[in-house]
Amino acid sequence: MPMAKMIPLLWNGIKDTMYMTMTSTLFAYLIGLPLAILLVLTSPKGLRPRPILYRILDIVVNVFRSVPFIILMILVIPITRAIAGKAYGSTATVVPLVIAAAPYVARMIESSLLEVNPGVIEAAQSMGSSTWQIIYKVIIPEARASLLVGATISIGTILGYSAMSGAVGGGGLGQIAIQYGYQRYQTDILIVTVILLIILMQIFQLLGMWISRKLDKRIRE
Amino acid sequence: MDALRDINLDIEQGDIYGIIGMSGAGKSTLVRCINFLEKPTAGQVIIDGKDLAKLSSKELRTLRREVSMIFQQFNLLQQRDVRGNIAYPMELSGKSKAYIKKRTDELLEVVGLTERQHNYPSQLSGGQQQRVAIARALASDPKIILCDEATSALDPTTTTAILNLLRQINRDMGITIVIITHEMSVVETTCTHVAIIDQGTLAESGKVEDIFSHPESEAARKLIFRKSGAAAPKLGERTIRVVFDGAGADEPIISNLVMECGVMVNITAANTRTINGQVFGEMVLQLPEEAAQQEKAIYYLKTHGVKVNDVSDLSGKDLSEPSEDDEGGDR
Repeated sequence: MPMAKMIPLLWNGIKDTMYMTMTSTLFAYLIGLPLAILLVLTSPKGLRPRPILYRILDIVVNVFRSVPFIILMILVIPITRAIAGKAYGSTATVVPLVIAAAPYVARMIESSLLEVNPGVIEAAQSMGSSTWQIIYKVIIPEARASLLVGATISIGTILGYSAMSGAVGGGGLGQIAIQYGYQRYQTDILIVTVILLIILMQIFQLLGMWISRKLDKRIRE
Repeated sequence: MDALRDINLDIEQGDIYGIIGMSGAGKSTLVRCINFLEKPTAGQVIIDGKDLAKLSSKELRTLRREVSMIFQQFNLLQQRDVRGNIAYPMELSGKSKAYIKKRTDELLEVVGLTERQHNYPSQLSGGQQQRVAIARALASDPKIILCDEATSALDPTTTTAILNLLRQINRDMGITIVIITHEMSVVETTCTHVAIIDQGTLAESGKVEDIFSHPESEAARKLIFRKSGAAAPKLGERTIRVVFDGAGADEPIISNLVMECGVMVNITAANTRTINGQVFGEMVLQLPEEAAQQEKAIYYLKTHGVKVNDVSDLSGKDLSEPSEDDEGGDR
């Protein structure tokens, strides 16, 4: 393929991939964060133990995490159509991406929040903090470095999912790789898209870890 | 099984009340009952006339601002600097920025950490972290400070400094302090009163000097005698511990015992301890094998104003006359 055609094609692919990844991550966090907080609070050892509710949430999260993304995409096509108006293209792909990523993100956040030293939470309780104050003034700020590491890993996973969505009508670099590289045997495009995906992943990874280190005050200077 | 049973304690305002016991005795649970971090299944906790079990969760949170707590592992917010940690309780009670700034400056002054105010906990030593925790505890202007093994993670010098700070706070601000510890020396140097917890029950409680010189329970004897430094007595030997306060210290009692009674005693350990500013001497004596001589020596010591405990088997059967300072026994 001539360079003049390849560059705009790939540029659009990058833009679509970024758009899908970032939008999906945003919505996945909007759902995953409250879900994670609920899991942490209602767990048998949490601040507000509600064993039955916890059990239900736990199972729901596991169920969604068990379905392979490529299958989930097909399963939720009716929902995608209801929300996005169509079942193909970048915007439509955001719907299954969010459905797949939210439980994943919830688990990542949950594990970060559980890392917070229980002694610090007990101290906050002893000072008369309300449950809500403990969440937003103690647990989340104390877990921030770990939350950022989790976000970095989550973005990587969502980026991977978004590429996979190219197989069933999603947009972006994944679609280009499959359409040109796989179906039309244009190996050069296939290789370039893979390299671009690797670069994107590296950028997210390095940026995320750098911010996480900057924010973490536990490290002795 | 109950973690704690039959614990009745009255802690008066201005006391420094030590709660001592071996590991696993239930003292950490007990201190958490005082601010209801652990809710007792039975019984009452009354602070300032308020029965904690009858408070709503909001009222309980308000009350907890009057009952601060410090911990063995300091439990500071790792992602906030010293100032931020001290400010935390004031943020909870909705104090103004200006107030928080002024009060934080004062508290930094009290605990001597002004030049460390912008450091994070990971940059501070254990003693400094505990000072931050104390400043944080003071920030809500509490009436009571609970200390859960607050010096157990610290070296001896730092322990002394932290205990001095707590005493100073008690003296200058009139704050009641409850100290949980497994170390008798902490109680001796710092507390006015002590309760001894053994296997979930209250073994003994009262004024520190009374219990030190006249321990009645098995648990108290073990805690006190263990610190006397006497090697474990050999089987069949009779070993006694004598305690005398500053009043009798100018009389050479042991010399007189040897001279007047002709009883040869072997001093296996001797020590002076300062309890609440009062100097106590204590000695562990090994007595001759002959029973008559033993009784003679014990009689002589008892009649010369020293307290005598038998520590032959560390059960410490008390050989003193029942003395008049027993009123501390039921506190």
